[in-house]
Amino acid sequence: MNWFFELLRASIGKKLLMALTGLAFCLFLLIHLIGNLTLYGGKDLFLSYVDHLHALDPIIRVAEIGLLFFAVIHVFTGLLLFWQNLQARPVRYQVNKNAGGRTLGSATMPYTGIFILGFVVVHLLNFHFIDHSQQSVFQAMDTTFSLLPYVIFYTFAVIVVAVHVSHGFWSLFQTLGANHIKYMPAIKGLGVVLSLLVAAGFGFIPVYVSFLM
Amino acid sequence: MISKTINLTLKVWRQGRKEPIGRLETYQAKDISTDMSFLEMLDVVNEDLTKAGKEPIAFDHDCREGICGMCGAVINGRAHGQEKKTTLCQLHMRHFKDGDTIVVEPWRARAFPLVKDLVVDRSALDKIIMAGGYISANAGGAPDANAIPISKEVAENAFNAAACIGCGACVAACPNASAMLFVSAKVSHLALLPQGRPEAARRARAMVQAMDACGFGNCSNETECEAECPKGISIVEIARLNREFFKSEFS
Amino acid sequence: MSAEVKLDAKIPDGPLAEKWDRHRFNLKLVNPANKKKFNIIVVGTGLAGASAAATLAELGYNVQNFCIQDSPRRAHSIAAQGGINAAKNYANDGDSVWRLFYDTVKGGDFRAREGNVYRLAQLSCNIIDHCVAQGIPFARDYGGLLDNRSFGGAQVSRTFYAKGQTGQQLLLGAYSSLMRQVAAGMVTLYPRREMLDLVVVDGKARGIVVRNLITGEMETYSAHAVVLATGGYGNVFNLSTNAMASNVTAAFRAYKKGAFFANPCFTQIHPTCIPVHGTYQSKLTLMSESLRNDGRVWVPKKPGDKRKPADIPESERDYYLETKYPSFGNLVPRDVASRNAKEQCDLGKGVGETGLAVYLDFADAINRYGQDVIAGKYGNLFEMYEKITGENPYQTPMMIYPAVHYAMGGLWVDYNLMSTVDGLFVLGEANFSDHGANRLGASALMQGLADGYFVIPYTIGGYLAGTRFPEVNPSDNAEFKAATTAAQAKIDKLLSINGKRTVAEFHRELGLILWEYCGMSRNEEGLAKAKTLIQKLRAEFWEDVRVPGASQDLNQSLENAGRVADFLEFGELMVDDAIARKESCGCHFNTAYQTEENEARRDDDNFCHVAAWEYAGDDDSPRFHKEPLVFENVELSQRSYK
Repeated sequence: MNWFFELLRASIGKKLLMALTGLAFCLFLLIHLIGNLTLYGGKDLFLSYVDHLHALDPIIRVAEIGLLFFAVIHVFTGLLLFWQNLQARPVRYQVNKNAGGRTLGSATMPYTGIFILGFVVVHLLNFHFIDHSQQSVFQAMDTTFSLLPYVIFYTFAVIVVAVHVSHGFWSLFQTLGANHIKYMPAIKGLGVVLSLLVAAGFGFIPVYVSFLM
Repeated sequence: MISKTINLTLKVWRQGRKEPIGRLETYQAKDISTDMSFLEMLDVVNEDLTKAGKEPIAFDHDCREGICGMCGAVINGRAHGQEKKTTLCQLHMRHFKDGDTIVVEPWRARAFPLVKDLVVDRSALDKIIMAGGYISANAGGAPDANAIPISKEVAENAFNAAACIGCGACVAACPNASAMLFVSAKVSHLALLPQGRPEAARRARAMVQAMDACGFGNCSNETECEAECPKGISIVEIARLNREFFKSEFS
Repeated sequence: MSAEVKLDAKIPDGPLAEKWDRHRFNLKLVNPANKKKFNIIVVGTGLAGASAAATLAELGYNVQNFCIQDSPRRAHSIAAQGGINAAKNYANDGDSVWRLFYDTVKGGDFRAREGNVYRLAQLSCNIIDHCVAQGIPFARDYGGLLDNRSFGGAQVSRTFYAKGQTGQQLLLGAYSSLMRQVAAGMVTLYPRREMLDLVVVDGKARGIVVRNLITGEMETYSAHAVVLATGGYGNVFNLSTNAMASNVTAAFRAYKKGAFFANPCFTQIHPTCIPVHGTYQSKLTLMSESLRNDGRVWVPKKPGDKRKPADIPESERDYYLETKYPSFGNLVPRDVASRNAKEQCDLGKGVGETGLAVYLDFADAINRYGQDVIAGKYGNLFEMYEKITGENPYQTPMMIYPAVHYAMGGLWVDYNLMSTVDGLFVLGEANFSDHGANRLGASALMQGLADGYFVIPYTIGGYLAGTRFPEVNPSDNAEFKAATTAAQAKIDKLLSINGKRTVAEFHRELGLILWEYCGMSRNEEGLAKAKTLIQKLRAEFWEDVRVPGASQDLNQSLENAGRVADFLEFGELMVDDAIARKESCGCHFNTAYQTEENEARRDDDNFCHVAAWEYAGDDDSPRFHKEPLVFENVELSQRSYK
């Protein structure tokens, strides 16, 4: 096991943790998105999707525990890296200017990350940790998105997630060592598509629920 | 060469060897020929300071043709200045306008402690090379140079990585003060060549551990290093370093 | 040492091709178990220094390695562009050890030792093998084998290269081997140290005094042998292609401690450099001489013609090299091309703002082959030119001018690379041994690495094994104390003058004097004038120089002041040597000695020798010694390029 702890101590090892958990979250986002898209098919379609999901309960439990475990690793490692990176430059520059490498996504990763953590907590409180015998997920959604501040918050949060993904997606491939002159442009393109899908697919739901349904 | 002269205001970081903190001091650079390099402009300012009985600005420099990697400063927030693929000694004053104000700061990183003014201690980069940036071949035992053919493409890729001049601009430009581009350039150069394969796993592991021990930050794929590297070294090398590192850890 | 001292080069007996083998057999060996008991100081981390330090450590010696920069990887060898010669004959075009030997001796205008040059040619092949094993990414062809090019007018393709950065790659190879030994604890590295004196105890080099450039402290180090690999003295001219920190100080202080200085007037002036643009220019940038393969050199026919090059019609252009040397044209050797450029500018036909430049025009080549072909050959050089000058050489002719590039002269060494001080070895550009009066392209890298990887490891063993060494402790040894005190006294003196002129002003003035009178062409009258001017300037320096800052600090003005102070003495030695050599040969062109075709006319009857100068005190002229050169294997001939 020595090698494993040595790996985790190394900067690249920690990056590997971020990349692998990040990859899991990207997959989760994609599945979550596909599921939620049923909403645009109307209430019945959406509820049948929810029912199907609950039929897979044991698997869902495992997945939830897995996601929680990944989240702890992702958040803890991310914060550790963030703190270490701040330490690495004790005296800051008087003038800061980008050379053209940084993007909105890359420059804000720790901040969007912390925001997303808060958002996930709120999101779980709104839809997960509710008494499902009292109200269905659809009802919870209806109640939540009848309040304008929630609509704005959710739409904004989903855009933040998209910004996080815009750097995170291609970056995880780079960290895993999958950067090739031929294929990297495609990976970067996929990252952009995924973040746009996240922003549009999820972002439109609160608006749709509150104004159009 | 159509030269003209410009006047500039410089704000230069000054910090004595034993001073815990420094400050930006303002100097006027007058009648600067646009054909001068940035370092020649600093020479002129230093001549004026000397004649005025003040101590000149200390800055590292040597070959002044962009290959030794000795020079470097952050100019208006940009490592080696705003021009692409350029070291500070090759940054010419024609890229500045009359009346410009230029802020000159040293490389900033915990792993590069400041020595004096714009001079920093980059011996951390030597320590990383010591950890494994070599092929263990004693003089005298080599086979004929043509004994192992190496494809032109591989040789060129190795050369592109080997072009690193060790100036430290990647560290200075990285928002996290990470040295991954530097480390990856050496690991890639040697890992690509058949002569370097026998030690590739040990090398990647040892160099990354040495890098971590020196107090550099972690890579977060901001790609500022690639944008500022005077030799145009690509982050493709960092991906290769990651692969080499995983290979060595998981095998 | 008396004036009758006989310089013994210790060239081994026997046929040329067997000398080195025989010598290696005859050299005493140090028992492997005893090697770690020997300390060796290596000053310098360029190709010669780093390769020597690494290899000696590989053998088991304790090495202390010093360099002036913050890291050994920055030594000026890194700037060499063109390539490295080796007699591999991979191109199957008739090359051989013998041909490389012959070309080098002839190229040096028959002022180098046959024995040394032959050994260099033999070792050239081992260098390439070792460098490939080290991971140097040399250029390769599609089959995966090493590519060669012809360089500097050579008739065979024997130059190995890594784009235009061969020096960088070779140096980083030597540096990596060195760092491996540092990690192994066999080499202790001392960066940011400047050697200020050699310590000689009982007639043997036993240590050095260095200044720690960060703290300003004087430090002393003792050893059983001292190896100097401190490079050339081209910066005596102020403007040269050398790095800013390149200097003569270490070599010159060794000279003052008894090491003879050989052929100091031999400095190579390279024809294709980017011209000077103003008073504050700090260095000159070389562009590969391969440019002359396609560029045509010209100036306006009429002196003082300030029109743009495009406005000067063909009939009013003077393609002087093509007219004067119809068979070689623009491809005449470095010294001839340089001398002619200066001559045109002296006639008032120079171009550019300063009038100190000639055109190198690619218009014809671009018309004939197309811009793509020219870009493929010289793209990176054109980019470099544009970066520095702001002009696009595809559209307007380049401007070039000669610049000081390499020092063939240096400390005198014998076949073992040992100077006239026992235990002081000198390698690379710092010694004088292999290039005669002119160095061929791609030979400097070869010599530095041959000295460091393959000569010194054997010859230093021979010295150490055959010598008895009494204990020397720097802290209570009188010689060490005296050297430290003297070095500090000089620094204190420099800081105390507090005059009006800066160090750079003196350096510029010295450079102009030497460039004018001891540069591309020389004459008795000018040299005599230069001697007086240098003496006057030196006196003024010690009365009126201003060196700001403190002694116990990082003080770059002080570093420069010490170096310029030595240049001011060394410059006079160069002039003395130029005066004494009453012939022309290679780079040393005395206008009184030329053929009817304006070529250098050697005087083999009276000057076929190495001139070695012995320090005789600050107030006395240096003593002249002669090492006659014996040519048993080549016939002395006259160069002609008409």
